[in-house]
Amino acid sequence: MTSFLTSLLGQLPRRSVALAAALAVLPVVAPGQAEAQSVLTVAQSRDPQNLDPIDTFRVAWGSVASNIFEGLILRNEDLELEPGLATSWEFLDDDTRIRFHLREGVVFHNGEPFNAEAVQYTFERLLGEAGAAGPQRANYTSIDSIEVVDEQTVDFLMNQPDPVLITKLAGYGAMIVPPQYIEEVGEEAFDMHPVGTGPFQVVEYTPTVGLQLARFDGYWNGEAQVDEVNIRFIPEAATRMSELLSGGVDISLDIETNSVETIRNAGNVGLVTVDGPSVTILRFHINEGITQDPRVRRAITMAIDRPTIIEAMLGGLASPIASAQGAGSFGYDMALEPYPFDPEGARALLAEAGVAPRTEITLDMNNSNDTFREISQVIAAYLQAVGLELNIRSHETSVYFNDILANGRTGEMYLFGWGGWTFDFDNTAYLLYHTGERNNPYIDDAHLNALLDLERSTYDRDVREQALQDVAAYANENALDLPLYNTATLYGVNERVQGFVPAPDSRMRYMNISVE
Amino acid sequence: MPVIRFITVRLLQAILVTMAVTLFVAFAIRLTGDPVVMMVSEASNVTEEDLARIRESLGLNQPFLMQYYDFIKSLVTGDLGDSFFRGPVWDLIAVAMPATLLLAATSMLVSILISIPLGIYSAVHKGGLADQVIRVLSLVGLSFPNFWLGIMLVLVFSITFPIFPASGYTGLASLVLPAVTIGIILTATNVRLVRTTMLEILSAQYVMVARAKGLSERKVIYKHALRNGAIALVTFMGLQFGNLIGGLVVVELVFNWPGMGTLSVEAIAQRDYPLLQATVSILAIMIVGVNLAVDLIYGLIDPRIRVA
Repeated sequence: MTSFLTSLLGQLPRRSVALAAALAVLPVVAPGQAEAQSVLTVAQSRDPQNLDPIDTFRVAWGSVASNIFEGLILRNEDLELEPGLATSWEFLDDDTRIRFHLREGVVFHNGEPFNAEAVQYTFERLLGEAGAAGPQRANYTSIDSIEVVDEQTVDFLMNQPDPVLITKLAGYGAMIVPPQYIEEVGEEAFDMHPVGTGPFQVVEYTPTVGLQLARFDGYWNGEAQVDEVNIRFIPEAATRMSELLSGGVDISLDIETNSVETIRNAGNVGLVTVDGPSVTILRFHINEGITQDPRVRRAITMAIDRPTIIEAMLGGLASPIASAQGAGSFGYDMALEPYPFDPEGARALLAEAGVAPRTEITLDMNNSNDTFREISQVIAAYLQAVGLELNIRSHETSVYFNDILANGRTGEMYLFGWGGWTFDFDNTAYLLYHTGERNNPYIDDAHLNALLDLERSTYDRDVREQALQDVAAYANENALDLPLYNTATLYGVNERVQGFVPAPDSRMRYMNISVE
Repeated sequence: MPVIRFITVRLLQAILVTMAVTLFVAFAIRLTGDPVVMMVSEASNVTEEDLARIRESLGLNQPFLMQYYDFIKSLVTGDLGDSFFRGPVWDLIAVAMPATLLLAATSMLVSILISIPLGIYSAVHKGGLADQVIRVLSLVGLSFPNFWLGIMLVLVFSITFPIFPASGYTGLASLVLPAVTIGIILTATNVRLVRTTMLEILSAQYVMVARAKGLSERKVIYKHALRNGAIALVTFMGLQFGNLIGGLVVVELVFNWPGMGTLSVEAIAQRDYPLLQATVSILAIMIVGVNLAVDLIYGLIDPRIRVA
């Protein structure tokens, strides 16, 4: 230790030399580059941190990775499933075998051919040792093994039915990776400089700073409009807005609702919105306190004027919901209506349940959502109007998820937000209502478990849809949660940008965008 | 040999402080949350077995002392290990450290360039209108929260008049706003310090002697007074380094400056133990190192201070 410290002190003068050299060390984008080539500059709040598909589940990864990687299936901006690296697929042997016919003439950015071996390698890696250290594997464990039939045909052998598998093959851990390249450069190098089959290839990834992509000329499905995409990671919402307004970036993802007015008033920037998967709900502690009584939970739901909150607090950029999913989600039931705003009815229900006026209840929330912090104050006012005093306890995000939520230490109500990227209610419903799920500290209901197990075990879309609608209806009937709203996904786009198509799932595709 | 004894004692203290900081950081961060939960916070279908498997692969199932030992070993060998989320820690520090040092040094420079002339002018014209204005302005400067000042500068110089980039590091121009933000905050303190130091010295007997010898006022101020005041100023600015690093964390976030502050804040949010331990320890070593250097230099210059 002593020698380390002395050597460090000995380096002090050298550090000041390093300081002078710092300009050379830092990644510098010369302003002149933009003129020579067409560059699209994008800001997003978070850094994917690791570009390897099996190591991450960040939305920030999804926002960049669809430009680099592709799966067997492609999900387009309308959320329709299309052939991707597979041209077609069929279910064989009582649905225990799924056969994929692969696209010919596809190459990875390093020139390596895409074929059945690459598919086999991708999934054996995901389900094997490398995948075991990451969060993606869990989504694909219904796959038992992969069999190569011939160069362009591959079979997935299933150990259990997985009705959402085809959708999941369009995303995240199922992106096809190059076997030779990974064997050559190793796992660690692949994290930072990966190679895929997508329309752009990685030029340089600088952690916390940005990711530079360049057009891949050998792409099989057309040609990207811009030469380069420069993605910058800017965590501060105010800073992202500054860059968008000053023209420093062409597109900004992760626009917060309270910035909408500023964008609408700016001359050179437009707001583009699309229905997203994100829902914000309040959940109830159904085992303790006054919220054990379904009448109280229903009363609280009826006491809050959700359409007004959406109009006044969210600039109208959200939709009221009756279950924890948006209208674009599979399993959404148009016929299921949210409880109406009815403070009189709420007071009557509370009186019927024997709740004394001015009874105190507690709402736990994490502190990372500025918009919701304001909304929680409005909710407190609505509840006060029906005779309930709301205490709001705000926690640091990690503490909230690690301790308050995971250990069931919430008050009568707690905040939960989720955006299931599969747009299949299964993704959200299972983790909200199935016994033993990490995010479900309180609900242990045999009826819900049976419905959820049913929808997970069949490929029959009608049966699944009915089961998922039954889950939503049951949750609504018992007021297990208070679905607040489904927020739109917001983008700020400079008028220079042409051909921008908003992605509901934040999985941006920059291929068809050009910059004037 | 009192000098050697003095140096040894200071060095041992510095090592002790650094050890205490690393131990505290490593211990405290583990009390507040599980990085694996953060890792899968956006994932569905994750079971307890999955969590256990990821924990094992990150070495989180080891006892605390074992994890701490591994960390100290990595610190001493300079390897620093791997972040939980984003590859080798050293690669991240290699980008962040020069950025932070560059910003810190430029801010210091901005502050020195403003505060020394203003402070001297204020002291020489004590009680005059300029002195009053400078004193009021420095009080205003002290009351600015640095993030607010940063946002205001962006509003004026990036959005209304697009002269400088609003954020990031894209060449020398992007250094201006963050460096001026911190520079102004530091100047507020430094102007007062220069003024007080100069006032004290200007009333000293040797200055009176210099004036009595008939030296020009210029020579009296710059050759006699400022040189003597410089020791105190340099010492204070050295000690200010700790505050500077603290202020940098916020300003780096506002300007999305890819430095150690941004890196540490992200490491805290994600409970990235190896990265947070490394960034905090390195910053602590730097602060301890600068203070040690100031102590040693001061001790060498002024023999009265050597007796610790």
